[in-house]
This record gives sequence, structure tokens and C-alpha cells, in this order.
Amino acid sequence: MREMRRANAGTSRYLSSGPLFWVATMVSTTLLLVLLKQALWLVVPFLLAVILYYALFPAVRRLTLSGIERETAAAIVSGGFLLVAIAALVPTLPWLAEQAVGGEEAFFRYVAGGKALIDRTLGMLESHFEFLKQMDFHAEMSRKIAEFGGTYVQEHLGDALLGAAASLPALLLAPFLAFFFLRDGRRFLKFLGESVPNAYFERTLYMIDRVDVTARAYFQGLMKLTLIDTIFLAVGLAAIGIPGAFALGLMAAVLAWVPFVGSVLACVIVVLVAATDFPANPWIVYAAIGLFLFVRLLDDFVFMPLTIGRSLHMHPLPTVLLIFIGGAVAGIPGLILVLPLAGVVMVVAGTIGGIVNDPRLRARHAFSKALNARRVTADLHS
Amino acid sequence: MLGLFQSRNETPRLGTLRQLALFSTLSRLELRVVDGLLHERRFLKGEVIFDEGEEGQALHVIITGRVLICRQGEPETGRITEIDTGVAFGELALLENAPRALQARAAEDCVLASLARSDLESLLDTHALIASKILLQLARHLGRQLRDRSLAIERTPL
Repeated sequence: MREMRRANAGTSRYLSSGPLFWVATMVSTTLLLVLLKQALWLVVPFLLAVILYYALFPAVRRLTLSGIERETAAAIVSGGFLLVAIAALVPTLPWLAEQAVGGEEAFFRYVAGGKALIDRTLGMLESHFEFLKQMDFHAEMSRKIAEFGGTYVQEHLGDALLGAAASLPALLLAPFLAFFFLRDGRRFLKFLGESVPNAYFERTLYMIDRVDVTARAYFQGLMKLTLIDTIFLAVGLAAIGIPGAFALGLMAAVLAWVPFVGSVLACVIVVLVAATDFPANPWIVYAAIGLFLFVRLLDDFVFMPLTIGRSLHMHPLPTVLLIFIGGAVAGIPGLILVLPLAGVVMVVAGTIGGIVNDPRLRARHAFSKALNARRVTADLHS
Repeated sequence: MLGLFQSRNETPRLGTLRQLALFSTLSRLELRVVDGLLHERRFLKGEVIFDEGEEGQALHVIITGRVLICRQGEPETGRITEIDTGVAFGELALLENAPRALQARAAEDCVLASLARSDLESLLDTHALIASKILLQLARHLGRQLRDRSLAIERTPL
């Protein structure tokens, strides 16, 4: 049956395609991102809630099978998750508070470590290449870096930290939203299916299924990719000898949710840590950079096609264009959201396009309306 | 322990579903799971339920009314059969993953319970017992149809 489903998904005549379809998908995705920009504070909790929904859904289904009402099952599973999360968080709170207090000091220590590494590298380059020495490359670069550190970072760091702190309470929305997705998700889909005219009913069923399959495959793929990246990076960083390898690997894997920018940022952070903790050994830094490049290549050519890539079935050209549009329209949340959003829009636009281009379906709907009109006006003509 | 949370009432809706041959072997709890997946559709007499050649995305069970199965666009001359309340139709397109072989029209005003292909597949994955009970009923239904057709052919004078 599953093979049948795959074949059905691959060969369906229900979805329209072509240049117009791609333009419609990109324009609709951009418009949705513009709308989402007005509620960016909701984007991260919503994203986490969707991930939680797909993670907790099997447990709710299992409880429903054992005879528990869906509402009760959703409450038990969501409540259980919340209790486990609190139980895990409480022992780590003192550590987190300590990190928060020492955060600023650690940040500037790592920045200084990074600056020292750049100094050493520039000095080494100057000693090897005469033309760089004549350009006074080292001094010029150091001046620009000092300017950047003195103005841009100090001006924007406070705002960025305050913004992050202000958005923390919104994260509490995630389990709350996930609970309602678990409790009422099926009801909403049923309502959606029943609200369309008879002629379009089976197409709508198909669309709902494809949206669910696409979103599920994307977010489950993202989780698998995060796990794989974490393992590879943690093992690699531990082998190089960098302390806190697991935490750094996990952070880098989560940052990789942001296309392009996330991986670069994660690499910069690991390089800063390596440069600060091993100031006398630049080879550790080079090995960390090499590891990141290696994992990036593995991601792009092996893991991503096996995990997320399978979910969207998108050509690389619109994918790259959409990522740029997402970043330009809604910044980092736009970068994270643009691909799953485009996947969903693609299915919806394809289904609507399929209906619009099917004169038989429209004729059936018109006939059904005429039958109904005749029925309700039958006694008026006599 | 989990039984504490279970609802013990059988609603009229579940009673109606139990009357349908496809779901007649399901327990009350199993019926409730299936009820969560069913879509209720109302069709007026003469309305097309599906066309020949369409991709089938759901199987339908008649809750009330009757459905005419005929060749595409020939409700009078191309009449194949008429299906009564409680019986399922449209299952072949799902089982064979083939386009609908014939057209279905409402022979009179009818209410259908529709089970989507994706939901039947998800039942197979997650509620294998329920899926196997439904599929067994479907197999019986197809077997009966085959036997009836064979008898009809045997009785037809050469």
C-alpha cells in the first residue's frame, strides 16, 4: 500500500506544474513571508510547536488506540512532555544562570582570542608574501577589525541580546500551541475537507495529505539532519581535542537550520573557541575549519538529499532563489521558514491550479449548484 | 488503568456506523478511531460522485440513499448496478491504485461516509488491527460481488 502511495504521489495528475505554477509559488511564498514578518515573534514558537507536534504525535496516536479520547491523550502527552522538560531544566538552571552572568566576559574573551588568531595569521602571511608587507596589510586589517569591534559589535550586541531575552517568554507558547495542534489538528483537517464543495472533495483530500506528508517529511528530515550533524561534529571536535565538543556540535547543528548563514556562524564560533583555548596551536583551528567544510560537503551531497531533500522535490534554482528572497524579506526567520513554507505553498498552488485547469470539475460544481438551486426554489415556481 | 479515561457511551453516530457492513466487525473503541477519520458528504439526486478515469482518493460507504454505478455520461443506457445503504463503493481505485473504472452518481439524495486513501494507509501503519478488519470486510464484499456476477453469467442464456 505504501508503494502504491509513492507511485500515486509521483504520477498524480492532480498537481499542475509549469512556469506559471513556479511564479505563483514564489510570489505566494514571498507574500506569506511579508505577512509573517508582522508576527516574527511568533515564528520561532510556531516552528518549535510544529516540530513538537510531529515528535509527540505517535504517542498521542498510541494512547488513542488504547481507547483514550483524543483530547485526553493530547493533554496527557503534552503535560508529560512539559513535566519532563521542567524536570530536565530545573537542575540546569544554576548552570545557565552562571553562564548568563559570565556570558559577556566569555564573549569578549573569545572575541579577543579570535582577534589574536587573525593577528597571528596576518603576521604569518606578511612574513611569507612581500607584497602584503609593502601594502602594510596586517596593520590595515587590524585597524579595520578594531573599528568593527569598537563600533558595530558594541552598538548592536546589546540590542541583539535584549531582543533574544525579550523573545524568550514567547518560547513558552510552543508547548501550548503543540497541545492544540495535537488535540484539534485532525478536527481542523476534517473541517477543511468537509467545507469544500463535493466536486473538489477528493482533490482536497489529496492536497491535505500532500501538505501533511511534505511538512512531516521536512521537519522529521530536519531533526534527523540535526542528529547526524551533531554526532559527526561532536565526534570530530572531540577527536581534534576541542573542549565541550558535544555542546558545540549541537549548537552548530541547530544553527545550520538557517541556510548558509547558520553554518558560517557556527564555524566562526568554534574557531573562536579553538583560538582562545589553544592560542599556541593554530593547527587545531585549521582542523576545526577543515572539519566544518567536510561536514558541510557531507550535508550537501549525502545527508541533505537523504533527509530534507526528499521532502520538497524542488529544483535547486528556485530553492536558491527562494532562500535569497526569504532572507531579504524576513531576515533569519525568513531563511529558516522559506523552504517548508514554499513546500506547502507548492502543493496548495498545484492543487488549485489543477482545479482551475479542469473544466470537468468546474462543470460538476456548477451542475451541483444548479441542482441545489432548483431544489430550494422548487415550490416558488408553482 | 487507562480504562479510567475511556468514554463508555456509544453515540447514535457510532450506532449508525456499526450498521455499515464495512465497519460492522469493529469494537466501540475502534469505531471511534475510524469515526475520527470519516468525512460525511451529502449528494443530491443526479449529482456526480466521481467520474470514470479520475484518480480515486477515497472509498465511500452509503449511510443513507442509493448510488448508481454507470458508464461515463450514460446513466440510463450504461447502467451497471445500483448500490444500497450500508454498502461500500469506490474501493477498487484505492486497492489497485488505478483510475476510477466507472462513473458514480447519486440515484437519490444520499449521505456518504468517505474514508481517504491516506487515512486507510495510516490505519495500516498505526492501527493494523482496525485496518485488517476493514480490509477483511472489503475482501468479503468483493468476494460477494464476484460470486453474484458469476451466478449472473451462469444464468444468462447463451
